[in-house]
Amino acid sequence: MSAPDFADYVGGDFGPFLAWDEVNAPMIRHWCEAMGDSNPIYTDAEAARAAGYSDIVAPPTMMMAWTMNGYGGKRPPGSGEGNALAVLSVMSEAGYPAVVAVNCEQEYERYLEVGDRVYFRATCEAISEEKTTALGTGFFVTELSTFYNQRDEVVGRQRFRVLQYRPAER
Amino acid sequence: MKLADIENGATLPTLDIDITARLIVGGAIASRDYQDVHHDKAAAQALGSPDIFMNILTTNGLVGRYVTDWAGPEARLAGVNIRLGAPNFPGDRMTFSGKVNSVDAGSGEVEVAISGRNQLGDHVTGTVILKFC
Repeated sequence: MSAPDFADYVGGDFGPFLAWDEVNAPMIRHWCEAMGDSNPIYTDAEAARAAGYSDIVAPPTMMMAWTMNGYGGKRPPGSGEGNALAVLSVMSEAGYPAVVAVNCEQEYERYLEVGDRVYFRATCEAISEEKTTALGTGFFVTELSTFYNQRDEVVGRQRFRVLQYRPAER
Repeated sequence: MKLADIENGATLPTLDIDITARLIVGGAIASRDYQDVHHDKAAAQALGSPDIFMNILTTNGLVGRYVTDWAGPEARLAGVNIRLGAPNFPGDRMTFSGKVNSVDAGSGEVEVAISGRNQLGDHVTGTVILKFC
């Protein structure tokens, strides 16, 4: 039996997916407390200015956190519909029910400052051919999310790759 | 640290992170990730995991922190590329290590290879790109 072809699911442009809150000092501080990150540019405006920013900046690794749905599980009003990884549930029904995150690549073009508003757009960038790994047989699926600020300038990009697979028999 | 202080091949001091339920839950909430496997042990066990485990955004945050702890506030993070391995469960300890892969004096770009290892193996491996202006 030949492997099913999911190539039709590559592409698409989903979004904008908005942030509930503008970039703000309390959420930055909570993040830094949990991560144990004492870089002063994240909490001290003077240190941030000394490093060349105009105000407190957010750790760039927080990029995705600003646009998470959060406790309510809902996107903020004004967000787009749909999901660039809709193919995963199609694969699941086609006999590849398990999923594991493989890797995550983030690139940052500019630091977010307090007061910025973030949103992102997403696309399904790539679906591999069927591959067999130690976990089982399935497909590597890559979602590319591009993050923007309120001036529609690119803040950064994230490539998130998962393996959707049928577990190997043990 | 300035760009001129960084030598190709230099190693970063290691950093031990105690993996506690407090850190896993605190990191998940700080990153607004309410998936139950990151705070609810029974729910994690129902999915075949022995315990709650760290979410990816917390791993990302810790990797960024590890490298900027060393490089200092003048280094800008330009990229974090991570490959995910063994989960971080409560009671474990992850040890970060790192090494400078390349220094480009012209562009001010530095690439650091990192790994975060726990008792199960590599939790995370990857590279971090820094930029000095």
